[in-house]
Amino acid sequence: MQKILMKGNDAVAEAAVQAGCNLYFGYPITPQTEISEYLSRRLPDTGGVFLQAESEIGAIYMVYGAAAAGKRVMTSSSGPGFSLKQEGISYLCSAELPCVLVNISRGGPGLGNIQPSQADYFQAVKGGGHGDYRVLVLAPCSVQELVDLTYLAFYLADKYRNPVEILGDGMLGQMMEPVVFRNPDYPDISKEEWVITGKKTRERRIILCFALDPKELEKLNLHLAEKYAEMERSEVLYEVYGSEQPELLLVGYGTVGRILKSVVREAEKQGIRLALVRPVTLYPFPKEILRGQARKAGKALVVEMNLGQMVEDVKLSVEGDVPVYFHGRSGGMIPTVEEIMHRVEEILLKGGEARENNL
Amino acid sequence: MSTIFDNKVENAWCPGCGNFGIQNAMKRAFSELNLEPRNVVLVSGIGQAAKAPHYVNTNVFNGLHGRAVPVAFAIKTVNPALTVIAESGDGCMYGEGGNHLLHNIRRNPDITVMVHNNQVYGLTKGQSSPTSEEGFVTKTQPSGNISRPFNPLSFAISQDASFVARAFSGDIDGLVRLLKEAIRWKGFSLIDILQPCVSFNKVNTYAWYRKRIEYLDEAHDPENRLQAFERSLEWGERILLGIFYRKKRPVYQERVKENLGVEDLLYRGFESENILQGELPRFR
Repeated sequence: MQKILMKGNDAVAEAAVQAGCNLYFGYPITPQTEISEYLSRRLPDTGGVFLQAESEIGAIYMVYGAAAAGKRVMTSSSGPGFSLKQEGISYLCSAELPCVLVNISRGGPGLGNIQPSQADYFQAVKGGGHGDYRVLVLAPCSVQELVDLTYLAFYLADKYRNPVEILGDGMLGQMMEPVVFRNPDYPDISKEEWVITGKKTRERRIILCFALDPKELEKLNLHLAEKYAEMERSEVLYEVYGSEQPELLLVGYGTVGRILKSVVREAEKQGIRLALVRPVTLYPFPKEILRGQARKAGKALVVEMNLGQMVEDVKLSVEGDVPVYFHGRSGGMIPTVEEIMHRVEEILLKGGEARENNL
Repeated sequence: MSTIFDNKVENAWCPGCGNFGIQNAMKRAFSELNLEPRNVVLVSGIGQAAKAPHYVNTNVFNGLHGRAVPVAFAIKTVNPALTVIAESGDGCMYGEGGNHLLHNIRRNPDITVMVHNNQVYGLTKGQSSPTSEEGFVTKTQPSGNISRPFNPLSFAISQDASFVARAFSGDIDGLVRLLKEAIRWKGFSLIDILQPCVSFNKVNTYAWYRKRIEYLDEAHDPENRLQAFERSLEWGERILLGIFYRKKRPVYQERVKENLGVEDLLYRGFESENILQGELPRFR
């Protein structure tokens, strides 16, 4: 297989095309505009449609329409633009329409800035829009993983008839790395049962995102809950790295997950045994492996590029068995190996005396 | 020319950007209208144009993409003594914020909306905008834009907007004159300002505009809506500048006072500022 040097944003776009997505609706926003630019050149070759919408809100409902009509479709944005799509995402979940959403996130809140950040974790995994819904959230840590998870995202979207979000950050979107495009050929999922195509021989199709009768709406929501339970049973992805007998467990996803690998190696040089759990799916969250690893290590340190979001899910996962410490940088600041090592030493030396977080 | 509206904030525009002309004209217009920095609020969205308020010594709200007009509307409603100007680019005002523009034309608040119209997205480095011409080639429209350009003047006149004008950032004297008229106008004033983007729009350049622009002549009656509409349709070999349309309509903030009788609730703190100043010494 040929290795190509490619920017993260371009790589997501190419992987989407290879996954059979030939519809894209978006609106420019830094640091992800290259996704649009790439697809505006690439999609016409595939007989597809690229459209720059009047706003992110316009774009997400174009996604709704294209998904209802049965096509693989994607939109992408960043921070403030992704917030504008939240209403549509709630509707897509309710109407059970498959699509792929890419958030190359940046510093917040508000307009924030255009530097890499993990400030959108809560929005992604807790439902940034209204209602009781879940979006499958995939968190790549390299350009290669951006590609591999993009193929997977389209498959999972069809499998569950549910939006799938790829949560990257400005660093992943902007950096160039060698990448191999290996389309895994996931099975095709038939959409015959629900799709609107105008087929002559069948009854009209209705795609709704509401049920006014409370009994009906509860039935719909319980059906969605079954899907979410199935995702939690079948789709959890994570990476475990480092020592088999760790003194401390590190937890971080995406860009931070990579930095934590360097921390594990640096610690090893100093004779400190660390292990890392890097969640790859943020929803469903890898609770069980975290609980097991945290118990083994006796304490855990969560590192994020925000003020402390995933740390709540780690605490829920370990169910109070071990102390969970936090180290966070925000506003586009990126934690360094040195500062994390400092934190690790502090926790290992002071134990119960160590500060719970660095903020 | 230096004015009390100058400041020393570092500028991030490209050399030669049409925004410089607009910024200079704005400071001159404010000075010539004897406005005071403390009484002016510049409200902007997101884009290169939306950076302008940072470079002018007034009160500033620089917020989110497309939403400058509703923010400006509410500031004016809370404190009608302020001169409130919403300022942003064509993408912000006519794309993301198009709906807000429509409904504020209906409400007719006493605010001015300045649109830096360069027919391209500059901040995200060159994509088509709502006013890009058909066939315009960009990074996201590599085989040319296939949508019709939005015509802001025809749109505003069709909705009976209170004041509708077009200016050119390359003619600062003309722009100062029109800006002063727009700001002085009691009611919603829209001023669409044609502005070359030297980095990402290689079609609508200074030279391109200079060849085409022409001010509306004496024969044009800005009170005549049909004539204004007809003139607003013209775009091509000749591009007209000036006040296309104006019509006195009751202003939102006044109608709130008259119809709802909420004067006391909304305005007391601000309009009685002078009384307050007079009373203060008693408590020293």
